[in-house]
Amino acid sequence: MKLIIYHLYPDLLDLYGDRGNVLALAARCRWRGIDVDIRKVSLGDPIDFAEANIIVLGGGSDREQSILVDDLSSRGTELKDAIEDGLVLLTICGGYQLLGQYYQTGEGKKIPGLGILDLYTVAGNKRLIGNVIIDIESGLKKNISWNYSSNVDEDSSQRLNTLVGFENHSGKTYLGSKLKPLGKVLRGYGNNGEDNREGVRYKNVFGTYLHGPLLPKNPHMADLLIELALERSGNVSKLLPLGDNIEVVAHKAIIERFGSNR
Amino acid sequence: MKVRFWLALWSGKIVSLILKVLGKKGTTFPGFITRKICPEIIRFLALSFKEGTVIITGTNGKTTTNNLLASILKTAGLKVAFNREGANMLTGITGTLLQNTSFSGKGKADILLLEVDEATVPGLCEQLTPRLAVITNFFRDQLDRYGELDTTIKLVKDALPSDTKLILNADDPLVAQIGIGKTDVYYYGVRSLPSSKADSDETREGRYCATCGQELTYTLFHYGQLGIYKCLFCDFKRPEPHIEAVDVHQEEQGISFYVDEEYNIPLLGFYNLYNALGAFSAADCLNIAREDIRLGLMKFVSDAGRMEQFALQGYDLTLTLVKNPTGFNQVIQTLVEIDKPLHLLIAINDLAADGRDISWLWDVDFEILATNKADIHQLLCSGLRAEDIALRLKYAGFAEDKIVIEKSLAQAVVKLGEYQNIEKDAVFILPTYTALFPLRDILVTKKGSDVKLVEEESA
Repeated sequence: MKLIIYHLYPDLLDLYGDRGNVLALAARCRWRGIDVDIRKVSLGDPIDFAEANIIVLGGGSDREQSILVDDLSSRGTELKDAIEDGLVLLTICGGYQLLGQYYQTGEGKKIPGLGILDLYTVAGNKRLIGNVIIDIESGLKKNISWNYSSNVDEDSSQRLNTLVGFENHSGKTYLGSKLKPLGKVLRGYGNNGEDNREGVRYKNVFGTYLHGPLLPKNPHMADLLIELALERSGNVSKLLPLGDNIEVVAHKAIIERFGSNR
Repeated sequence: MKVRFWLALWSGKIVSLILKVLGKKGTTFPGFITRKICPEIIRFLALSFKEGTVIITGTNGKTTTNNLLASILKTAGLKVAFNREGANMLTGITGTLLQNTSFSGKGKADILLLEVDEATVPGLCEQLTPRLAVITNFFRDQLDRYGELDTTIKLVKDALPSDTKLILNADDPLVAQIGIGKTDVYYYGVRSLPSSKADSDETREGRYCATCGQELTYTLFHYGQLGIYKCLFCDFKRPEPHIEAVDVHQEEQGISFYVDEEYNIPLLGFYNLYNALGAFSAADCLNIAREDIRLGLMKFVSDAGRMEQFALQGYDLTLTLVKNPTGFNQVIQTLVEIDKPLHLLIAINDLAADGRDISWLWDVDFEILATNKADIHQLLCSGLRAEDIALRLKYAGFAEDKIVIEKSLAQAVVKLGEYQNIEKDAVFILPTYTALFPLRDILVTKKGSDVKLVEEESA
């Protein structure tokens, strides 16, 4: 078994440790004996959408993000087709916003996005910063619990029903009526600080404002991405459980310290 | 105005006196009181230093550069006033000025050296025009406090008065761009470091030309985005340094380099060479003799928590602050070169002064450490974010049984000492800012009690 992971613009979008997501995917494959081929893509480099199993797109500063929009737009159709076909895509922060229809600046100018998902972002006048805890949306929760079997301890309190991370954005994102979020905000702001929703899921596309980075402290989410990618390439067997001792301890530490439920 | 000034000065001085009598330290509270009464107090107090004010700003190295410059100027016989680390915002700076001003309003020193928080530069420059401004480097640090790096750089650039002579790190394109369009600029840089490479996959900022937005081309990377660069699409390039270090060597005791002759600093880590060059350049612009610069650098005594050595019972350890990816990568580079098994205690906090967001840990190249130091004996993880650093180390490739989580700083130090044969290891404690001082206190106390223990045993 082998997975090809495309890491888009790691040289441009390297803010907030998002490369940790790729490190987590790679390590969790490696520990299970699944080969991984990580391909870093920069401006103008080729992407073989037919071969790609997982694509990861992070966030960056405004300047660096504006540089890559054109490059990514030129691959927009291919990306859209691959998404409709079930390609696994993880987008964080700026990458997440880019999937949408447009980004409206403070002056009211609408900068077009890739237009792949029915969502849009409006510049806010304050930065939304802090630790975030999300109660995972029920459909996604089912996917995860079918998939994720951590052998930390047998008792069910080790089950992870939340996502944790750190957000830092000024854009406020709103989802179209047919799109589902990743979950409900228990702490933090999420998509816009107004509707209690965080992130988006469409087919195998995941968008979120959660840095931290997302996947190391949310091993159930990391494994879901791996599982979905394997499934799409014809492997249906469940993933071998890993000893997620430190992962779960780190996840729980955030909930204990910042959780709203005492 | 006059009345308000004297009232503010005296209140501040009296509050300082009271605090002193009570045995409390601190420059911030008197500064706070004084500024409440007279917000423009800095303007008046700064006038009393006849050689003017030198400010030092940038992401890393402010404190060390400031202290190196103080060491040089003292060697040259000047009376120097300077702020302590952490007192680098307006309130702390006011506190420093109070300490260095008499009740009659006279300055107690010839020259004022201020390390200034990047976001404080505009506020400070409204009140005074620095004679010199040294800018060390710009790295990502505490983004959650200031927004993005570009904003910070613009903030600093726009705030600096045209009469201030700029002393800029030529090797950092983010700093050098501040010199574009300015006339009175003095640059420093390094021709080549033993660790310089033609290629780099390190996390780095500012790969793009500040003038035209194209990617910069490097012939040499020193570290991070520091190196020898130029833009192929416009005329932006690394400025020719006025002070350039060549023939750089790092030995166990410190770094040696040549400018016109040989200079030595008793500090490790090539980032400290840049700190020395920043201080060197500032001293040069103040017309200090080269011999005083040489002596001042050589005699420098390292600060608290910057590769500070502790001799405990049975083993020695080094305490050094880590606060962002570039700084941490530099420390890792130093660790990799050590020829003994390593023993680390890493303490990560996420309070305001550390930066609330700890995702920067994933931009640190722990993989280099895991590859080169697979024989590491123990990785103790401590602080408020002990679990996060433990997780980072696991994904860097360290064996899980070497990673120990101990959130309490005091307990973590105890665990260090309990390890068998620790005397044969190179022991390092690497804390973020708010974990540094508690750890230092623990170590100082421990050193005291260890000494006592030895005395009792030999009695």
